[in-house]
Amino acid sequence: MNDERNNNAQDDDGQNEATDRRLIEAARRLETDIAPDRDLWPGVEAAIRAPRQKRRYPAMFAQAAAVVLLVGASSGLTYLMMKDDTRPVTVVAPELLFDQVAFGDGYSLGPGFRDARGSVASNLEQELERLPAKDRAEVEQNLALIRTAIAEINAALEEDPDNALLQELLLKTYREELNVMRQVRGLTRDVMSRNDI
Amino acid sequence: MAAVLSAESSDYSQVMASATRTQADDEASLIRRAQRSDTAAFEILYRANVDRVYGLCLRMTGNVSEAEDCTQEAFIQAWKQLAKFRGDAAFGTWLHRIAVNAVLGRMRQSRREHDRIRAVAELNDAPVTAADSGDLRDLSDALNRLPEGARHVFVLYAVYGYSHEEAGNMLGIASGTSKAQLHRARRLLAQQLGQDGPRT
Repeated sequence: MNDERNNNAQDDDGQNEATDRRLIEAARRLETDIAPDRDLWPGVEAAIRAPRQKRRYPAMFAQAAAVVLLVGASSGLTYLMMKDDTRPVTVVAPELLFDQVAFGDGYSLGPGFRDARGSVASNLEQELERLPAKDRAEVEQNLALIRTAIAEINAALEEDPDNALLQELLLKTYREELNVMRQVRGLTRDVMSRNDI
Repeated sequence: MAAVLSAESSDYSQVMASATRTQADDEASLIRRAQRSDTAAFEILYRANVDRVYGLCLRMTGNVSEAEDCTQEAFIQAWKQLAKFRGDAAFGTWLHRIAVNAVLGRMRQSRREHDRIRAVAELNDAPVTAADSGDLRDLSDALNRLPEGARHVFVLYAVYGYSHEEAGNMLGIASGTSKAQLHRARRLLAQQLGQDGPRT
């Protein structure tokens, strides 16, 4: 019986290998060079010939707005965390989470950050539902403010892509968003412990 | 006769080697000119490489309009970053890296639901397979239906021949993840194409 099972498994493996081989051989025959249906050069040329526009005032406005929003959001969350005086806030050093953060095209974040953010964000809605309505509204408002800041900084970076200050600010804002989402977990742990008692 | 053939063959090799060197010299010279903001030189580089870049973008996105946007973005970024090109890798490979970044950036920007719905709707009638002959169209269609991560790895590894390490570097994932995604892609493709896989 075991022999028969082993033979079947070997047959399956052999068949899988043959299928894999055919698949890769076929893939290597797919066209790699494909001509676009239309000439894309005019769009490229227009972009590279256009003088870079420096819109200093909107960029500065975005920076200032983002700083204000960040301070506001942080203060709000700190207040929420401390008001019940249940236990000290544990904050994970951002550097531990953001080793892989990198700015790519469009100023999106690297896969390490996306994974961290994705895992926190996936439970956020459930965590928020556990909060009292007032606290939940406050957290949601803070997150909305931070996301507005992210959008504003991104818009400013579109105009001034090499602005290191804006890039740094964007990174900090993304960090702040993740911290807020993580702190929500802390808040709901408090809610659960109070309910348990 | 053998000697004649041998001599001809040798001449042919020398001519080909010379042609390849000339081509490389030409490319290097064009790159240097483009690095000095010569858009005419950059246009020649664009014309020489656009099919390869567009092909990659089309295979990775499975969508004509997104592939066009990514191709343009890739060349715009290449122009901006040209000063950083030191010739450590082939120019075409360097462009491919930028194109992959453009595709990944584009996908991140398209996170909003309506964008995804639009992209999926367009995907159904995107003539990606038009570039492929006969029996390869089934594979090309099946490739377009793969999940993003698996499709990206399969395209870079199986279609364009990059190693897992290279594909991982381009996509910002570990080479082990690249292998896992390739395994997933193969399994899904085999399911779509039937037990026997593609006809070869």
